[in-house]
Amino acid sequence: MKFLLWLSRSAPAVWGRESESIWAYPTILFLHTLGLGVLVGFTTAIDFRVLGFSSRLPLAPMGRFFRFVWIGFWINALSGTMLLIMTPAKLSNPTFIVKMACIGLGVLTMLWMHREVFRPRQTLGATVVTEASTLGRVLAASSLLWWAGAIVAGRLTAYLGNVR
Amino acid sequence: MSLDLQPLADWLTKTSLSAFVNNHAWVWPACESLHFVGLALLVGNVGLLDLRLLGFEKRLPVMAVNRFVRWGVLGFAINLVTGIFFFAGNPAQYIHNIAFGWKVAFIALAGVNVLVFYATGMARVVKALGPGDDAPVLVKVIAATSLVLWIGVMYMGRMLPYIGNSF
Repeated sequence: MKFLLWLSRSAPAVWGRESESIWAYPTILFLHTLGLGVLVGFTTAIDFRVLGFSSRLPLAPMGRFFRFVWIGFWINALSGTMLLIMTPAKLSNPTFIVKMACIGLGVLTMLWMHREVFRPRQTLGATVVTEASTLGRVLAASSLLWWAGAIVAGRLTAYLGNVR
Repeated sequence: MSLDLQPLADWLTKTSLSAFVNNHAWVWPACESLHFVGLALLVGNVGLLDLRLLGFEKRLPVMAVNRFVRWGVLGFAINLVTGIFFFAGNPAQYIHNIAFGWKVAFIALAGVNVLVFYATGMARVVKALGPGDDAPVLVKVIAATSLVLWIGVMYMGRMLPYIGNSF
């Protein structure tokens, strides 16, 4: 927390917060929105497929879209960190904590689902696994919930608690 | 654009929809939350098809990828409805907003892009693409245009308060 406060007084944070430039706060905010679209968007597509939607789509190549999920994740981890050091008071906003918890659970669910559904164990035998296990489907469904929760909590951070 | 939208704005502010949006504190944040959910559905599921058409993961049969577009359409519908709520709730902050003008223009262009996709017969061509098949150049241009336009829509939406004068 002390470190965050120190960061929040650093030159880049002050610039991001106080500059009138379109390249400061607004651009970081846009990157955070773009990252959200890519991260959650591709996650929903993978989740829908795991849940059985468009089952003629082979699972293995679909799993390659996880790389876009990670690209979106890192765009948002970086832009989110920058937004946080500009307004560190968010850390004491319970809604923001709920958002972080949803993201943590969303990422863990994603990793678990990747292990459960997309690990290439179909090469073990001649049979190609075409559908996800029940556990895989439960993980996909809960993934949708965590990310919806993260979006809603993120938006409500601007309305509930102490900061915008 | 010299289109005078003031009469529309005046009329909208008198509607019960406008009153509904303004009389309940929860409506605006709820619509914003849904607007972001719709954004994600649209970007991810339309982006999936765009990327496949551009040549990413060609092992995927396009017909099966194409089915995901309906989730994108659902996202668009959510955002159209919630967008109408925003506009009806406070038309004044949109009708003179240059970023909003660009946002609507990009959405319209994205619509034209879809029309071109169907009118040129490319939608049919694409559905026949099986695993490993490469899309024709025109299809790749349409797919890239789609990605650029939707990113542009997001950018202008996010810039409503900054390039424009909302909020």
